[in-house]
Amino acid sequence: MKKYSLTIGWLYPELMSTYGDRGNIIVFKKRCEWRGIKTETIRLDAGFSVDDLKNCDLLFMGGAQDRQQQIVAKDLVKKRKALKQMIDNGTPGLYICGAYQFLGKYYREADGTVINGLGILDLYTENPGKGSSRLIGNVAAQVLNNGLIMGFENHGGRTYLGKNVKPLGKVIKGFGNNGKDQTEGAIYKNSFGSYFHGPMLPKNPEFADFLIKLALEKKYSSPINLSPLPDSLEIKARESIANRLGIDL
Amino acid sequence: MNSILILAGKLLSIISRFLNVGSGSTWPGHIALNLNKNFIKDLLKKSKIKIILIAGTNGKTTTGKLIKEILEKNGKKVFINQTGANLLNGIASSMLLRSSILCKINYDFAIFEIDENTLPLILKEISNPDFILILNLFRDQLDRYGEVNTIATKWKEVLSKLSPKTKLILNADDPQVAYLGLSRGVVSDTHRVWNRSYTSVFYFGLENKKRTNKNLQHASDSTYCPNCGSKLSYSMIFYSHLGVWGCPNCKNARPKLDEGDAPIYPLLGIYNRYNTIAAVLLSRQLNIEEKNIIAGLKSFKPAFGRQERINTSGKKVQIFLSKNPTSFNESLRTVSNLGAKNLLIVLNDRIPDGRDVSWIWDVDFEVYIKSFKNITVSGDRAYDMGLRIKYTQTIIHDSLFIIQEDLKKAIELTLEKTPKSEILYILPTYSAMLEVRKILTGKKIL
Repeated sequence: MKKYSLTIGWLYPELMSTYGDRGNIIVFKKRCEWRGIKTETIRLDAGFSVDDLKNCDLLFMGGAQDRQQQIVAKDLVKKRKALKQMIDNGTPGLYICGAYQFLGKYYREADGTVINGLGILDLYTENPGKGSSRLIGNVAAQVLNNGLIMGFENHGGRTYLGKNVKPLGKVIKGFGNNGKDQTEGAIYKNSFGSYFHGPMLPKNPEFADFLIKLALEKKYSSPINLSPLPDSLEIKARESIANRLGIDL
Repeated sequence: MNSILILAGKLLSIISRFLNVGSGSTWPGHIALNLNKNFIKDLLKKSKIKIILIAGTNGKTTTGKLIKEILEKNGKKVFINQTGANLLNGIASSMLLRSSILCKINYDFAIFEIDENTLPLILKEISNPDFILILNLFRDQLDRYGEVNTIATKWKEVLSKLSPKTKLILNADDPQVAYLGLSRGVVSDTHRVWNRSYTSVFYFGLENKKRTNKNLQHASDSTYCPNCGSKLSYSMIFYSHLGVWGCPNCKNARPKLDEGDAPIYPLLGIYNRYNTIAAVLLSRQLNIEEKNIIAGLKSFKPAFGRQERINTSGKKVQIFLSKNPTSFNESLRTVSNLGAKNLLIVLNDRIPDGRDVSWIWDVDFEVYIKSFKNITVSGDRAYDMGLRIKYTQTIIHDSLFIIQEDLKKAIELTLEKTPKSEILYILPTYSAMLEVRKILTGKKIL
């Protein structure tokens, strides 16, 4: 079998990694290595070079606390062009919580202040104000052709999707994008935004493999079949949460 | 009025304990505060008691107990609010239950462990405590407490209103905690005196230069300057984001230590060095004699679940409460240094633990897991913890650890595989720790 390799770009690991986001990087890395696919993870911290970004085959960016997001916002604006080019060209990526919101047009804070987003994805986020509560709890969503994804959400902002993006899934339990329209996350080309915060991938190995496959096929411009891995523990972890949420897998 | 509240509260507590409907540790206070919102203030007016508030993410219970032990060795009468009762109700209850009918608390000292979000509320009731000791600020239960920076901002605001009577004792090695003091005043000859209110600030930290890491741990929180937002530089890191820090931009830096070492350390782990040094610094501020400080430290017994040892059917067990990434990392590091071979991890996701278990991916299992040979995981989220450990492996093999959701069975199983000459180390989250103790000792504590 041909030797494959992937370069994973982790955007702002120091600043945007508050809720166990590292779990997603670990899952990418391990599920590649267990299959003999070599990986290199490039940490793209504030001030990173655009050339390093362009070398990446698969991108990930997580969520953060408000203060950290302000520092990131300043840096990210300078990289907008390069990132937009990659996303428009179909570089696969996973963007969680704060990262997901950043990709949109704007974020309106509880006090009405509007923070501009990168405007790469056709969506916007609003915090309905002080009286409204954060959307917190276990969450499950039905993904097109890909079964159920499960996780935990914790966000104050409500995200609304425009015409140029599709939802990642339909909410079965929990709140998703805004707690109203049953949408969860967004898909634009090969980029995926989601409110399943922190370690989204450990309990959703199919989704992890789907992203790895996308990245490999994009890099090698040919169809690739990933060898199966023993996922019995992942399945049990999913069943255990599904039971608690009272849903069937 | 207050006399009746005290009498009724005491009665209620006895009844609830007798009927076994909870320990009765918060209800009397809840009712008293509802009927008289000045209940705490009234009691304090009549009493000569000195008040010590302890806040911080990790180490409150241990530090409180260390101080109590030292004060008692000095002949003082001391009480601490019961663990789990660190909200306003619990604090009112603990005072009520120790008051005489004449509304006097006949104790020399009250030590209150304060929940992160409760500190501002408590300071409304107890506006001029004798001491406020702040240990550290780590990410913990973000779904419940909110974000580290939000807490620091709230604290800063309430601490600025303190009267000169209060002495602040702060961790110099934790940038955000130290900044609570640094941001208060102009540096002068007596750099510790706040220029406006003259509240004195004293700093503790680690003087020991041997225990240092080169790199920050993954779960570090405050690595950016609390004043200007620039990235901090560290010449030494003791654990997480605690170390000798400085801001290259605005020149804020770790303040000079008033206390950097303790005569003895009754508990293992760097985190407990901080707790001990903090207790010693506070004791010295109370002019307690050195020999009584040492005697107190020597006779100290760990609080339940905090390195507590339990013997069960001829086997040795030691419990290390591990409730957030930092405390989990430090527990793993401490037991690994002891040559631990047997490990039981119990992960729950109940309210006291935090409903979100995402944080387990911020714990550095990769560094420590290889040294164990007998590993079991249990608890409500046993499978999540199992996955976390699975993903530390270079090659997948199922024999690395066992998953047993039923805690009783998990304990039996792991104990069976623990030789009598070795110790079984149990690392539980908070509610899991209570369950583990109940199974091992047959007694319920909360």
